[in-house]
Parts: sequence; C-alpha cells; structure tokens
Amino acid sequence: MSGRIALLRFPGVNCEAETALVLERAGARVDWIQFGDVLDPDDYDGFVLPGGFSYEDRVRAGAVASRSEWMRALETADEAGKPILGICNGAQVLVESGIVPGGPARAVRLALAANGGEGRGGYLCRWVHVEVTLSACPWLRSLDGTRWPVPVAHGEGRFTSLDPEVIAGIETGSLCPLRYVDPEGKLASGGPWDPNGAVGSAAAVCNERGNAVALMPHPERAAWLRQVPEGAPGEWGARRRSARTAAALEAPGPGQALFDAFVHAASGVRV
Amino acid sequence: MPSSTGSLVEGALAAASLIDADLEAGLRGRGLNLKIDEARRLAAALGRDPAWPELFLFDAMWSEHCSYKSSRHLLKKYLPTEGAHILVGVGEDAGVIRVPTADGDYAVVMAHESHNHPSQVLAHEGAATGVGGIIRDVACMGAEVIGILDALRFGDPFGANAARVRTVMRGVVEGIAHYGDAVGVPNLGGDAEFSPVYDENVLVNVVAMGVCRAEDIIHSRVPAAAASEPYDLILVGKPTDSSGLGGASFASVTLTGSQESLGAVQLPDPFLKRVLLAAQQDVQRMLKESGAEVGFKDLGAGGIGCVASEIAAASGFGVEIDLDLETKVPDDLPAEFVLVAETQERFAWAVPARLTPEVLRIYNERFGLPRMYPGAGARILGRFAGHGRFVVRHGGRVVADVPNELITSGISVHHPVRRRAAPAPLATPAVQDVLALLESWSSSPAAASRRPIYRFYDSEVKGRAILRPGEADAGMFLLRWGGPEGIAVTVDGSPGPLEADPRGGAGIAVCEVCRNLAATGAEPLALTDCLNFGNPEDPDVMGEFEDVLEGLGQAARAFGVKGGGPLPFISGNVSLYNQRSGARSIPPSPIVAGVGLVPDYGSATTPRLKQPGNPLMFLGRRRGAFAGSWAAASVGLGGRGALPDPAELGAQVRREVDLVLEGIRAGRVHAAHDVAEGGALWTALEMAMDSGDPEPLGIAVEEEFAPWMLEEHCGFLLEVSPGDSGELQRRARESGLECFAFARIIPGGTLRLRQGAIERSVALATLAEARSSVLKGIVP
Repeated sequence: MSGRIALLRFPGVNCEAETALVLERAGARVDWIQFGDVLDPDDYDGFVLPGGFSYEDRVRAGAVASRSEWMRALETADEAGKPILGICNGAQVLVESGIVPGGPARAVRLALAANGGEGRGGYLCRWVHVEVTLSACPWLRSLDGTRWPVPVAHGEGRFTSLDPEVIAGIETGSLCPLRYVDPEGKLASGGPWDPNGAVGSAAAVCNERGNAVALMPHPERAAWLRQVPEGAPGEWGARRRSARTAAALEAPGPGQALFDAFVHAASGVRV
Repeated sequence: MPSSTGSLVEGALAAASLIDADLEAGLRGRGLNLKIDEARRLAAALGRDPAWPELFLFDAMWSEHCSYKSSRHLLKKYLPTEGAHILVGVGEDAGVIRVPTADGDYAVVMAHESHNHPSQVLAHEGAATGVGGIIRDVACMGAEVIGILDALRFGDPFGANAARVRTVMRGVVEGIAHYGDAVGVPNLGGDAEFSPVYDENVLVNVVAMGVCRAEDIIHSRVPAAAASEPYDLILVGKPTDSSGLGGASFASVTLTGSQESLGAVQLPDPFLKRVLLAAQQDVQRMLKESGAEVGFKDLGAGGIGCVASEIAAASGFGVEIDLDLETKVPDDLPAEFVLVAETQERFAWAVPARLTPEVLRIYNERFGLPRMYPGAGARILGRFAGHGRFVVRHGGRVVADVPNELITSGISVHHPVRRRAAPAPLATPAVQDVLALLESWSSSPAAASRRPIYRFYDSEVKGRAILRPGEADAGMFLLRWGGPEGIAVTVDGSPGPLEADPRGGAGIAVCEVCRNLAATGAEPLALTDCLNFGNPEDPDVMGEFEDVLEGLGQAARAFGVKGGGPLPFISGNVSLYNQRSGARSIPPSPIVAGVGLVPDYGSATTPRLKQPGNPLMFLGRRRGAFAGSWAAASVGLGGRGALPDPAELGAQVRREVDLVLEGIRAGRVHAAHDVAEGGALWTALEMAMDSGDPEPLGIAVEEEFAPWMLEEHCGFLLEVSPGDSGELQRRARESGLECFAFARIIPGGTLRLRQGAIERSVALATLAEARSSVLKGIVP
C-alpha cells in the first residue's frame, strides 16, 4: 500500500512543489502541512522537510523551525522509527532540533556550518557527485554503492561537530549515508568536487537508528533525466546526452531512486 | 479646462500665483522634483491650489519613471508591439504571449525593469528590490514566477575607481542572490559587462518569467463588473512605511554623489514575498472557483497612489481610498508619505466586496501574514467608484481629489533631438600575433567566466531547468510538467557596437537575442527591452535614443515571426538620467531580452562540442564590419564606426535562424553557438573549452588565420556530422548565406591554427584557467 507522507511547509520553504511531485511519482500520498496546522504523527508513515529558507534563516538556518510545534510530533514519529527526510533547509532543521544524529535528550551534537575551504566560501549552486555508502540508514541500503550527480545550493552545508563520537560516526560510516566524491568515485575531500568542506565529505548524516536523514544536496532537482546537465561527467551525463526527445528525458533521473527508497520504507512501516 | 472637483481639499502651495523662485523653493523644500511648469499645469487643471498629498502624487506619477513622458511618443513611433500570439501587450505590468499545447493554451509572462539608481546608492538593497519588483510584475498577472535573468553593467573593477566599483559589484550580486535564492525563483541567465563608463552609474536590469494557463491571466484593472456591484481595493503585504519615499522621482534625476538619497532606496524582504506568493496561489484558486472577475496589480514606483489610480483608470473607474484604514509605520506617517512611499512586498486586489472576507482570511489566517512581519496582512483600503475621480481621505478629511485620468495620462515632453551623422566604416584591424591576442583576452574582464557571479544564484529550484546559466546561449525551462515544450530566454546588449553605431548596435542586440535563442533550438516569439540612457535634456542623448529605437524596430520587423508580422516588443522599461563622471551621460545601453519556444526540449542544443572529426561550420555572412569589436579595441581602433543596417541584418538572421532550427530539429546540428564577441575564433574556443568527457576536445582551424575570424555578430558556428555538411552548404547557398567548414574538432584540448607559414597551438585548459580566475575574489 502507498505511504502517506507529510510535507512540512514551514513559512519560507520554497521547494515543496517539486518535492511533492517526486514523492508522488514514487507512489506516495502527499499532504502539505501548512504552518498553523496541527501535525498528528499517527496520521503519517513518513515525514519530509523540504528546502528553502524557513523563518528567513533567522538566528541560524533551521533554528526557528526546530523550535516549532511540529517538532514534538516529529520526535514521536522518530521514536516510532518512521522515515524522516530533511533536504537542505530541512536538513538544517533536523540538525538544529537534535533529531540528527539523535542521542540523549536530543542534544544538538552536530552543526551545519558556513561552507568552508579554499574558494568554497559563501552560497554555492552547482552540480556535484555523491556516493551512497553503507550506514545505519536502513532505507538507503538498496542504493549502497551507487554514485550519481546531484545539485547543491546552500551557504551553510558543512557538517561539523565538536563531539568525537559524532565525528567518528560520520568518518567511519554508520552516521553517513552519502558522501561527496569526484566523478571517478574518489572522496571529494578538499578537492575541486568538494562543495563545502564537510567532515568526511558528508553530503548527508543520519541518526543512530538510521530512520532520519539530514541531506544537503537536492535529489528532487535530479529526479528527471532532463534535469541532469548535458555536460555531466560519467554514466548519467552519457545517458542524458543520448536521450534526444522530451519523452526520453522524462525518464527518472538519479535522484528519483532516493525518494523511491524513502517511500518504500514508509509504506513498509504501515504494512 | 479647470475642474471643480476637490473643493473640500485645502490647498497648500499657490502653484498658479507664486513666482518661479518661490515655487521652486516650495517644491524643493519638500524634496519634490516636480518641475515648475508641471506644478502650474496641475493647479490649472484642478482650478485651485494643490494640496501636499496631491503634489507628492503628481511628483511620482509625472516623473520620467512612471509617466514615460520623454519617451512614450518615440516608443510608439518605432517599436512593433502587435502580434496574433500576444495575450497582453505593452501597457500592463508584464507582457504575455500565448503558447498552444496539447493540454490547452498556456501563457508565458515576461517583464523587464531596471533598478540602476538604487543599486548605485545602496547596492545590495537596490539590486534585491529590483528582483523583488520584477517578480511582483509577473506574479500580479496571475502567473507562477519561474525564473529571473539579470543584465549587469559594472564599472571597471581594475580601473581608477576599482574599490568603489567592486563594492557595488559585490552588493549587486549579493542582493540578487539573497532575494532570488530566498524567494525560490531560479536564475535562468543574464550577462555582465565591464566598462569605466559605468564606474559611477551601475546598470542593473532584471527580467522575470512566469507561466500559467492562458485563462488564468489576471489583468491590472478593475473589471467592468464593478459598475454593477461594489468592488473593494484590498492591499496585501507589508504595512506602509517611509522606505523608498520618492523612489520614482529619484529614478528620474541625476545622481549627485551625496548620500542624501538613501531613504529613496526600498528595503527587500524575500521571506515575506515567498509567503505572499504561496498565499496568492490559494487566493487565486478561491477566486477562480467563485467565478468572479477580479483585478490584481503590484505596488512599485508611486506606491498606493500609483496602484490605486492605475488599476481604476485602466477601465475608466475612479477610486476612494481611506488612509486611516492603512497600517502605517510609524502610525502618524503623513498622508503624502503614505500615498507615495515605495514600501516593498505589497500587492493590490480589486475584488467584489462579497469575496473580501475570504481573501482576508486566506492571507491573514491561513497564511498568518500578521505573524510573519509586524503589521503585515491583507486589509481593505478603499472602494472603486464610477465617478472617475481619485479621492483620498485621511484623518477624516479629504486630502486629495483629482480627476483620475489626469494622474495616469497627464503628461508628455518632446525634448530636442540631435541625430548623429552615419559613421564611416572602420579599417580592418591588423593582428600581428593572434595567439598572444587570444591569451590577453582570456585574462580580461570582457572574456572572463561569469561563474564567480552566478555560482551565488540558485538555478535549480522549482526543478524546471533544462539549460542553466553558463550551459548555452540561452536559459531554458520546462513550460509544463509532463509536457515536451521548452521555453528559452536570453538577454543581450553589447556595449561595443552600441557605442560605435547606436542604430547598428541596436540591430545587433535584437539579432543576437534571436541567434542566442535559435542556437538552443528555440523559435523567437517576443522581445522586451529596457532602454538605459543618459540625460534626455541633452539633444545628443535623445538623438542616440531615437537611433537605438529605430535600430531595434527595424531589426525586429525584418526578423519577424513565423506566420507573418514583426517580432513584437511585449513589455519594457525606460531608464533615463544615467550619468558618468562630470555629468556626462552613459553611452546608449539598451538591453534586449527575448523568449522563444522549443516544441520538444529533447532537441535543446548547447555549444558543447560532441565528436572528434566533425566539422565546425560557419553559417552567416561576413561584411568586414569591425566597429565596436574586441579586435578593434585591442589594436586601438575604438570609437565610432559603421555597423550593418539593422533591417538588412534582421532579414539575414531570419534566414540563418530558419536553417539552424531546421538542422537542430532534424538532429543534424550537434552543437551551436552564435558568433559574438571575439569573432569565429573566440566562439570556437568557447565551444571547445568545456567540451569532452572524459577526454577534452580541441579545434583545428582549417584556413590560415585572417582578420575576418575576429569579426563579430556575423553568424553561427555549427557542429555537424561530416556527411551532413554538403547539404547544409547547399541550403545556405539557396538562402544567400555563406557556409563553409571553419574548423575541425580534434581529440585533446588544444587549439591549432596557422598564422603566416607557422603552425601554432595553445592548450585550451590554459585559456580556460585564465578566464575562470579573472573575477574570482572580486565578487564576494
């Protein structure tokens, strides 16, 4: 049966429409939860926090939203092990709320700092490559080892922590389901394909149980083959270049698989 | 004829009887730029002394910025604006064209504005509110705003005023990024040029694109139904404050260099705008279901005074507004300020009074506007009336009462014009060492990679991107989800040719837009323009203005559209009083934007080279016209010189575009790029620099180097398969165009060419590296 997904529409998010389309294509029934609405965690099988600038990034990106009324519902869902996905600003909210990486009393143990590194300061919009690596996240396991292009668009996307346990979890793998790599699959760390200088080249960090994922790149902008740039290196670029009609370019892009896996996991929870 | 209206209004300034000096002092003392004869004219039309709110209103509405008083008659004379595919032409906030699809008719909405003066004074806020304003212009037509473009003219970042120029550059780029990224509208492209003539007057032009179903277009006017049932004027967004006070009037004067105008710059709030746009979708859905006719318009220059008068006057109505109903910051803001302040993030609806409560509920409760920003919300400001007057109450008294038509169509000025003599042709530049020339270009701002600018712009949000900044000659986005149509959009306005020969340069701007669209596979459908010029009181400036308009019109008519008729201008803007140091006007700097359709975006084409062994064909016509080119400037042949006649060039480019589109749609053209700055040689380099995966590609030029290879704006370079080149040449001959193999694509990232008897080569990676480093560290 299809998963029911709550799409949390904090004021200032701006990626909800395309994110809903991709989720629906993955088979989900999507409800847009409007700010001011009550969120009942029992009504949904999965939760998505889309990208944007919730509450104008006041204080810090994600900080105000992470204190919103919906967070208690999200915590309940988290405790039930339901899949939770925060994309870009949504990732910032999950980190600011302590849901990712989780732990005692949901203390904030992780930060998304300003992009850093030589020539990488400030907001950056570009296509990068990520590789799915084995982690605590059960619902990304089917994508393990896949490598694909995806765009980033953020100013504060550098996962970092003062907690040695969290650093170790990201670097050794259990907390890090996606890493930035170069087109050949080498870790991007510090090189030209590293967009922000994150610890362990982390593109995403999950909680210890793996159900909640804070993801900085935008797979919903890479969910149609059309969206992949013609010049993208590797297999996906070649596939993009060989598709010569709109019909062929309507095929799923690399990002769709992540949503398929997410919705599949959400549907499984209900079953 | 004096009118007897407004007898209740207490006059403030004896505009009819005061002597010039006293009237001047009275107006300037309140910060107004209204001219003496205009104030007298207002008094005569009213038959009494005008009150301050009235003087402030007319100061804004009779400003150059709002009234187009110096340009309206010339725009009408020269620019084609008609077309069977136009849904909304010039006159509203944006132009709209109809695009038929298998799923019914869609509307593509396009608006084009400048925000030059504010960006010079307070770069970040000025540029950001430029983006905010153009987004409102498209949103108020009922469309979803799906992209923006920015055309920027900066000073010389390495010149005498480098520090100031870089500060402005940083602010402008940050402002555009800050607003566009946060409001969630992707950047589709744009351009940036650098010249010391803009050291003290940056140009920031913005274009916004929108899409909706054709039947969902909302006009910026009170519906006729308002004659038979009461219609409210609802204001939505921020409370009125004194930010942007006198902005319209400010945009119509010469900058003095002092900071006294800071208050005239508006303050941006993309967060609030994002919430407003989200709420608007729900409001529109509700209104559509109600079946009621409505009007919708954004607030920009002239604030409440402008929106209320124009939305009513557009269908011959009057309006009565009560400023006591408006939320003001501070609460005692004087009436004249409330009337014309350009507080950002506001819209105005004209809806039947019976639907007003539901509109207010959606904005204020469902989307919680009052919780998003102190004092924000939707509120009733007044009611439309059949009497044709513009009546304002404040503090329980009538403080303005004037014939509405006087506000919106009151004024026209015909400045003296001195046309230039036609320039003589320029000599062919003599180039001693072409590789050295290419290397020097690669490290110049003109040729620099613009990535250090557009990396700050979100080009992916909304998920509709097909071609993004830096990928091709035009940006392209999906018209509708699940449909095959791509919409291409681009801007152009090369400073070199425009300075060399304004009429010829204007023709080139139109032709470049058409070539850029066609190079991606799009058929050009419509244009917009922003005419950035200097002081209209200078007859030479007005001469250039007419030259440019003539060139734009001639090229657009000659190029035309499929099915007959001219390529129309559907919207635009005029920005005057742009000046450089010593109060000299900037050179003519029109920016032309164009929109085109690709029926199946699978055929979208980029300049990226595909296959070693393929020929790179030149298609076009060489004329030996080097005026305004990089090559001419590099050998000291700057200044004026003749360029092709716009009508002749427009007709030629139509024939080129037909062949290019035919080739692209048949799958025979694998890469395309128009021959622009730097001529065929630099164009070929640009195509090769980003090509190849995983191994880079290069170029071997077939003939010995000759100066024509640096001639600009003369055609296309097209990659075809070896077996298809003969047919292309045959078709070109039939069309009276030149076509030959200019170069061959080779493996390995080098350019090879002969100059004299010597075979030379250069690594493309070296040139690319130089190009990419010029602007690094200059933009933030």
